[in-house]
Amino acid sequence: MSDTGAGVRTGIVAAAEPPHHRRTLAGYLLMPALLALVCLALYLYVSSQELDSIEARSLNAASLTKATWEHVQLTAVSTLLTLIIAIPLGVLLTRPFTRRIRPYLLTVLTIGQAVPTIAVLVLLAVAFLFLGFQAAVVGLVLYAIIPVLLNTMVGLEQVDESVLEAGRGMGISKFGVLTRLELPLSVPIILAGVRTALVINVGTATLTTYINAGGLGDIIVAGLSTNRVLVQIVGAALTAVLALLIDYLAGIAEDFLRPKGL
Amino acid sequence: MTSTTVNNRSTGKVMIRLEDLTKRFPGQKHNAVDNLTLDIHEGEIVVLVGPSGCGKTTTMKMINRIIEPTSGRIILDGEDVTTTDPDALRRRIGYVIQQVGLFPHLTIGENIATVPKLLGWDSKRVTARVDELLEMVNLAPESYRNRYPKQLSGGQKQRVGVARALGADPDVMLMDEPFGAIDPITRDRLQNEFLRLQSEVRKTIVFVTHDIDEAIKMGDRIAILQDASKIAQYDTPEQILTAPANDFVSDFIGNGASLKRLNLSHVSDIELTQWPTVQLGTDHDQALEMLRRSDRSALLVLDESGRPRRWVGADDLHRGAGRPLDEIGLPAGAMVEPRATLSDALNELITARYSVTIVVDAKGIYQGVVDIEQINEAIRGMRSSAVARARAGLAEGAEAGSTGGQP
Repeated sequence: MSDTGAGVRTGIVAAAEPPHHRRTLAGYLLMPALLALVCLALYLYVSSQELDSIEARSLNAASLTKATWEHVQLTAVSTLLTLIIAIPLGVLLTRPFTRRIRPYLLTVLTIGQAVPTIAVLVLLAVAFLFLGFQAAVVGLVLYAIIPVLLNTMVGLEQVDESVLEAGRGMGISKFGVLTRLELPLSVPIILAGVRTALVINVGTATLTTYINAGGLGDIIVAGLSTNRVLVQIVGAALTAVLALLIDYLAGIAEDFLRPKGL
Repeated sequence: MTSTTVNNRSTGKVMIRLEDLTKRFPGQKHNAVDNLTLDIHEGEIVVLVGPSGCGKTTTMKMINRIIEPTSGRIILDGEDVTTTDPDALRRRIGYVIQQVGLFPHLTIGENIATVPKLLGWDSKRVTARVDELLEMVNLAPESYRNRYPKQLSGGQKQRVGVARALGADPDVMLMDEPFGAIDPITRDRLQNEFLRLQSEVRKTIVFVTHDIDEAIKMGDRIAILQDASKIAQYDTPEQILTAPANDFVSDFIGNGASLKRLNLSHVSDIELTQWPTVQLGTDHDQALEMLRRSDRSALLVLDESGRPRRWVGADDLHRGAGRPLDEIGLPAGAMVEPRATLSDALNELITARYSVTIVVDAKGIYQGVVDIEQINEAIRGMRSSAVARARAGLAEGAEAGSTGGQP
């Protein structure tokens, strides 16, 4: 569908160009419009209700903005750290000299992922008395490393062997082959891992409220502990909207960062 | 092992010398390549051919050290490159592989520019070189330069692969079954184009294949390899076909060596027979008179510019009285150009009406004909000269105490 759209707009030239994988403008606008609509509906519904003092404490512009902003920070910082750790690790684990330790390391990391995040967070808090934003980031990073690492490794390994041999055969250095062939050619798969990590982090960041790291979890937990359904709904809806928005932005990034010609 | 003596056609200097080259892969009991010594002369296509697993690809990949030799030396253009910087070495050597291995995220132009850019050419020179190379391999630069590899057919990809290998104008090219994954018709065309290209660029080429027919067609010299890259015979295609050094070689050539030999001679190498011809518009009585005086059963009708048009026999002339010559008789088919091989000529001859193949030049103008007698003659000639050369080699070998490369 998007292909025909692009074809119509650019006319005959489009036929000679690489096929478009990008969406049309309408395709790009659909998701934000939908999310804005949800937020608007939520706002109208909340303003039409009589709020008691407990509800009013959570459901005001200042505390919602603060919680959302904290949530975004938690997600952004933990994802960034995840990438800084997982992508180089993925590169290392696909080099020939790490072949021996590869299975052991992957097993350890996968077991790590099997432990629930909440357990990790509580462990950090109880065993190390490590609380707040930084502890939350540590927990989130530990959890998100695996998808990015695995996607990086799969991405690097699926690169056509003959492309690499041709590159080496022409005298491109080992490092050059990595940066100019292997990484660009695995960008789509690595980005899919990054997108997964982002979505995981947005979701699990709601749990970090238990170790006093803020975020939208504050709102949800406040609603739960005071038995205010409206507060719970607002917190949950905002988390969902944020998750969808971030996933949407990551999708756009994938479209634009994917090398042409693939 | 003695290095194989090569004395015919070797005018140039030795471009690549492999000395006692050995490769044993870790964990294996036997050498993949065992003590190979081989001289490759400048400007020649040397084909390494042999059964699967004989080590031919390993041998080739040791030349640019994609596979590092276990022992032995590689001498390129007089310089020992066995332990020099491999990346610098590879930039001097064009490399073409069967799967092509174009970089899918780069345009055709960027692919071809790879080595020139690595060597630090300025962008103007690189652009000019890319266009030059695209034209060399018959791809129009303006329509292919900015395309991506996935938009090309297999044959086009391999042309780009060759252009990319020629990028920085290397003296030496390594080609690993470059036309192996391409359909037979396209392969034939690419082979011909490549030979034409090679006649212009005169690179030293090491070409690996498992197909003896391709080896005969492409090679100036063929090295037939046995297990562990032992040379069974290293010689010109003519010699290999007419005087196989041992049973392994004759088995490997297989049946039809005489037919294969016909691929080595060209129509231009033999003297053409003349056939009685008439111009279009000649009247029938005159044509009949010519036919009577010749000892042939038909005349070849040529148009104003000398292109063959029809075969006309006596019957046709009688029956078709009054009609112009280009409306009677049979259309003249079965034509070849002088650079066609005798095998092509024979092929046409078999299907032709009067058992001759018409030879025309590039413009289609009649030159003469080839008949079965001439082809026979050519085969006899090849055989006797090959036997003479083999006898000379035998005498020489007896003096040296060993014949070339034979185990």
